[in-house]
Amino acid sequence: MGEFLSFIGQNLGDFWTYTGIYNATWQHFAMIAIGIFFIYLAVAKEFEPMLLIPIGFGMLIGNIPFNMDAGLQVGIYEQGSVLNIFYQGVTSGWYPPLIFLGIGAMTDFSALISNPKLMLIGAAAQFGIFGAYIIALALGFDPMQAGAIGIIGGADGPTAIFLSSKLAPNLMGAIAVSAYSYMALVPVIQPPIMRLLTTKKERVIRMKPPRAVSHTEKVMFPIVGLLLTCFLVPSGLPLLGMLFFGNLLKESGVTRRLAETARGPLIDTITILLGVTVGASTQASEFLTVDSILIFCLGALSFIIATTSGVLFVKFFNLFLKKDNKINPLIGNAGVSAVPDSARISQNVGLEYDPSNYLLMHAMGPNVAGVIGSAVAAGILLGFLL
Amino acid sequence: MNKNKFGILSMLLAVVVAFASCKPAVEGEETGSKILINEILMTNETNFQDDYGMHSAWVELFNKSYGSYNVAAHLLKYSDTPGDTAVYFIPKGDVLTLIQPRQHSLFWADGQPARGTFHVNFVFNPEKETWIGIYDSGNKLLNEVVVPAGILQADQSYARIQDGGNEWEVRGAGTDKFVTPSTNNLTLDKNVKMEKFQTQDSIGVGMAISAMAVVFSGLLLLYIIFRTIGKVSAWNAQRTAAKTKGLNEEETKEAMAKGSTPGEVFAAIAMAMHEMQEDVHDVEDTILTIHQTERRYSPWSSKIYSLREMPKK
Repeated sequence: MGEFLSFIGQNLGDFWTYTGIYNATWQHFAMIAIGIFFIYLAVAKEFEPMLLIPIGFGMLIGNIPFNMDAGLQVGIYEQGSVLNIFYQGVTSGWYPPLIFLGIGAMTDFSALISNPKLMLIGAAAQFGIFGAYIIALALGFDPMQAGAIGIIGGADGPTAIFLSSKLAPNLMGAIAVSAYSYMALVPVIQPPIMRLLTTKKERVIRMKPPRAVSHTEKVMFPIVGLLLTCFLVPSGLPLLGMLFFGNLLKESGVTRRLAETARGPLIDTITILLGVTVGASTQASEFLTVDSILIFCLGALSFIIATTSGVLFVKFFNLFLKKDNKINPLIGNAGVSAVPDSARISQNVGLEYDPSNYLLMHAMGPNVAGVIGSAVAAGILLGFLL
Repeated sequence: MNKNKFGILSMLLAVVVAFASCKPAVEGEETGSKILINEILMTNETNFQDDYGMHSAWVELFNKSYGSYNVAAHLLKYSDTPGDTAVYFIPKGDVLTLIQPRQHSLFWADGQPARGTFHVNFVFNPEKETWIGIYDSGNKLLNEVVVPAGILQADQSYARIQDGGNEWEVRGAGTDKFVTPSTNNLTLDKNVKMEKFQTQDSIGVGMAISAMAVVFSGLLLLYIIFRTIGKVSAWNAQRTAAKTKGLNEEETKEAMAKGSTPGEVFAAIAMAMHEMQEDVHDVEDTILTIHQTERRYSPWSSKIYSLREMPKK
C-alpha cells in the first residue's frame, strides 16, 4: 500500500512539474498581461480588432508556461508542433503575400489614379523606414537588423513580417508585434503630429474632387504598376506581384468569384493564422529581451518620422502647386500604409476644423501609394542588405 | 480598336521596352545550365576517399540554381582522344541524384560502375588533354570543360575559383588553395556586404538617400505614366460624349476646352430632382407604437430543433 501511495505521489509530483503553474516565470505573466491589454484595446476601444484580437489571444497561447525540456511538441518554436506548422507561413514568408493578394482585391486605386501626384506623398512617408534604420544603427543593431526594424515605419504588418523573416528572423516576433501594435495605435500617434505641423489655414484647404476613372485605367493600373515597380525592384515581387494581381482580379470585372475569395475567405483565413501565430511567437523566453524593448521604442519613432515626413512633404509640395490645386497637408499622414486607418484619421482631423471638408477619398490616394511604397522599400532593403 | 486604345497599348509596350535594359554579356559566362562541372581531380593518391576506402579520381557537379536539380538519366561524357568518347548514363531511381540548391555531387572516375550510381565507367589520363561534358536526358550539352594536358600533379584539382564562376585554377599546389570535394570552392568566412555597409555607411545616411531615391523614382514614374494615361482617358471620354451629343468638330473642341462637368454638379441636380419628385410633404405626422406580443412558442424553445426524434416503429 505504501509503495502504491509513493508511486501515486511520485506521479503527481511529475505531473506538477509539467503544469503551467510550476513552470511560470514573471516574464510569462508580463506577456499574458500584454496579451490581455491588446484584447482590451480591441474590444473596449475597437483599436484594430481584426489584428489585436488574434495577436492578443496568440500571446496568451504562446505564453502558457510548460516544461520545455520534456519534448511535448506544443510550443511554437518546437519543431513538429501544430503551432510550429502554422508558424511556417510566417517564417517562410508565404502569409504576407497572400494577405497582399486580399488587400489588392479589396483596394480601389481610383483615388490614386485620378490624382496620381498623391503617389509622391506615399513615397515621402517611407522616410520613416530609413529614419528608423539610421537610429537603429546608432543604437548598435547591425545593418540587416536595422533594416528589419526600420520597416516598422512602413506601417505595414505583412511587409514587416516578410522582411524581418529574411533579414533578422530572430527579431521577427518583436518586429511584427510592434508593427501591428503601432498600426492599431495610429489614431493615438498621428493626430497630435498632424496638428503640430499644420496651420489652421492649411487644415481647411479644400481639394478638387477626384475625377471619374475609366475601366481601362483601372485595368491598366495593376499591369503597369507591377511592370514598373518590379522591373525597378524585383526583390519586392512576392508582395507587389500579389498586390497587383489581387487588384487585377477586382478590376478586370470578369473574375468576380476569384476576387471575392481573395478579399473574403482567403484573407480572413490568413489573417487569423498570421495574427495568432505572430502573437504566439512572443513566447516570453524568446521575446522579453532588451532588444524587444528597443524595437518597440524604434517602432514608435519610425511612425512619428513617417507621419512627420508625409505632412511636411505635402507642405513643401504645395509651394509648387497652383492656388486652386493645393493639397491639404492633413492627408500627409496617410502616406504610411496602414489602410484605411490613417486615411480615416485624415478625414476625422479634417472634419474637426471644417465639418464639410471630406478628406477620406483624397487621403486614400497616398494611403494606397504607401502600400506600394513600403513594398518597394522592403524590396530595396532586401536587395541592398541580403 | 480605336486610336486611343491603340495609343495607350503602344505606350504600355514602350514602358516595358524602355525598362528592358539588356544585361551586358560577360565573356565566357555560362548562363544556360543549372548544373555545372565544378572541380576535377585526375590523380588521387592521398586525397578524398570513396565509400570503398579507395583513392580514385573524381569530378564534382554543382547545382548553381536555388532549386533542387535531379541529374538522373543525364549523361556524363569523357574524351581524351578525338573520336573516342566514353559515356556514363547516370542511373535513375537513386534519391541521391537529386542535388539540393547550391550543393555539390561527386562522381568517382574509377571505371567501376558496378560500385554504385556515383562510380562512372571511365578513368582519367592526366597526361592528355581531357574533355568532360554533362548532357541532359535529351542528349543536349549542358556544360563542358577541357582540362589542359599535364597541368595537374597528383592530388591537385582543376576547379572554378568560385562555385559556378567562370574562372578556373589549379588547386592543391600551395597551402592557400585547397582541393574542395563536395564543398564550396570559395568559403565565405565573413559577410562582405555587411562589412562594407559598416565601414562605408556606418550611420546609414547613404542607404537612406539611395533607397529613398529609388522609392521616389519608382512612384514618380508611376505618377508620370498615370498622369499621361489620365489625360488621354479624360480627353477620350469628352470626345466620345461630344460625338454622342452629335456636336460638330468645332463644337466638340469648344466642349472639350470647357472640360467635363464635375460629378458633384450631377449629384446636386439628382438630389434636387429627387426632392422635387418624392418629398412633396414637408412634415409628416407619424405615430410610432410599439406593442408587446405574447408569443409563447419560439423556434429556439422548440424541442424539434434540439432533440432527435424517436424513430417510428
